[in-house]
Amino acid sequence: MAFLFRRLGFYLAAFLAAATVNFFLPRLMPGNPVEIMFSSAGSDLSADNLEALKLTFGFVEGPLWQQYLAYLHSVFTGDLGRSIKYFPLPVTELLGRALVWTVGLMGTATLISFTLGTVLGIMAAWRRGSTFDVVFSVGAIMATSMPAMVLSLVALFVFGFELNWFPTGYAADPALDPAFSWPYVSSVVRHGILPVLTLSVVLTGGFLVTMRNNMINLLGEDYIVMARAKGLSDRRVMFWYAARNALLPTVSSLAIAIGTVLGGSLVTEVVFNYPGLGNTLYQAILARDYPVIQGQLLIMTLAMLTANFIVDVSYVLLDPRLRRA
Amino acid sequence: MGAVLRSVAHNRKALAGLVIVAVIVALAIAAPWLTEYDPTRRVGRPHQPPSWDHWLGTTRIGQDVFARLLYGARTSLAVGFGAGLLITAVGTILGIVAGYRGGRTDEVISFFTNMVLVVPNLPLLLVLAAFIGQASPWVIALILGATSWAWGARVTRAETLSVKQKDFVKSAEMLGEPSWRIMLYEIFPNVISIVGINFVGSVIFAVITEATLEFLGLGDPKTVSWGMMLFNAQNASALQVGAWWDILSPCFALIALGAGLSLLNFAVDEIANPRLRTGNTLSRWSLLMRRGEGRL
Repeated sequence: MAFLFRRLGFYLAAFLAAATVNFFLPRLMPGNPVEIMFSSAGSDLSADNLEALKLTFGFVEGPLWQQYLAYLHSVFTGDLGRSIKYFPLPVTELLGRALVWTVGLMGTATLISFTLGTVLGIMAAWRRGSTFDVVFSVGAIMATSMPAMVLSLVALFVFGFELNWFPTGYAADPALDPAFSWPYVSSVVRHGILPVLTLSVVLTGGFLVTMRNNMINLLGEDYIVMARAKGLSDRRVMFWYAARNALLPTVSSLAIAIGTVLGGSLVTEVVFNYPGLGNTLYQAILARDYPVIQGQLLIMTLAMLTANFIVDVSYVLLDPRLRRA
Repeated sequence: MGAVLRSVAHNRKALAGLVIVAVIVALAIAAPWLTEYDPTRRVGRPHQPPSWDHWLGTTRIGQDVFARLLYGARTSLAVGFGAGLLITAVGTILGIVAGYRGGRTDEVISFFTNMVLVVPNLPLLLVLAAFIGQASPWVIALILGATSWAWGARVTRAETLSVKQKDFVKSAEMLGEPSWRIMLYEIFPNVISIVGINFVGSVIFAVITEATLEFLGLGDPKTVSWGMMLFNAQNASALQVGAWWDILSPCFALIALGAGLSLLNFAVDEIANPRLRTGNTLSRWSLLMRRGEGRL
């Protein structure tokens, strides 16, 4: 329990660090920070609205620490300001809408790639040095060294434009009304296949290599030799003796992978014109909509910290040594 | 060093990776002799398919894609290796200092390392680059160096902790050598394999991330680089209008560089961690098995 509390304290510090970056960046840039933050609004913003926005981002009268506290106050009360491009839509609402699609995309892709990568990694380690191992582990390393947008663009060109198997944009047929009905749901699935698959290909490699290397290091251990000496079947040794223990570090690599998943999902969405966080963010970058750009850092950090905490909890459940400490 | 070079020469993956990267470097250096076109000038009609005059066609504003690809390689390589070097240097120094000094120093460095690790990297880079405005490749390399060292610091620290216990470090301490000397001459040469893995991995990461930031519209429009080529082609709806050469050329360039670097990475990993090295010894064993000479 003490372990989990310590982690929570650490996550609070990490979140504070992200907020601090947001606070100081516009103030560190040459020029007037207020102008930098809201310049893209031009003359569209009324004086009242501008005042409210300035308050949210801590541009108040007083010394720096008072401004900092004012900004932290708005962050911790869940006020991330309003989008300038889509004024007066609050940033939390704009990003919240998009987040649903991104989480769906990321969740499915992570599930597919984690399962696939782990199983393939176990098999590659078991038959290390074989053609199977060489093909999959070299292929995996190569897949992780490709920018996500490259794979997405090639997939979009081949399967979307040339073969015409899948739609080339949006999360669902725009002619359909969002409802829990067969035509709408099937349209969502059909639009999701290509982005999910390309994202899975990008991610599988990382899980495969981690699992393979963990497994290989474990296969030299005495208890594996003992299990084989007992005459247990290959399958039993592979999954119940080696893979179980190799899985533990893989779970913690999952937490770090969430960051990669996020990044990959951002660019994949831009390529497939998918209405998730990535696309919203892309529009915000083009319009220099700073409140949205800053807001996404906080929301992504929060998502990452939550994922890390879930991994911590599962670690305590998986590793008895931590429970006693 | 000689041993490392010998293992590289014997490792087919390392050799293949080295050849790919070397070819790309050679093409980038030889760019002015390989194409007569200026990569920034308009030299033909817009969106012409590949032809004898324009080997990889033209962009929407009539620039030569092949020329842009060659000159763009210079940017990708420079940012990749420059930022990779920076990331590795920061990570190695922090890792060795934290691991060797221990105590308060270690606590502070480790705290920051872990903090940087849990803040998602790309979103952070997006915020930094957005405020800087149109980030030139050098600025991108700098902010990559400033934000991406955490993983390297963590693994170098772990390795330093185990090297620190060795007798030769203890004896150097007994002789009263200053600690900077121990870190530089006793610890550093013994964690060099981790540093190598970190370096190749960081170069790959830097190449990918520079291209990603530019693709997302945070680059300087005047830059000639693979990321900007992708951004411009995507903005010109190249795929929608059927100008596949415009978008697939930088894609395949990035794939080639990524493949070359990752083969190198794989090989360095095998050289550093002998347990992962399976190729030669096992193939010999299976050959013996097939001949019926070996026995399980």
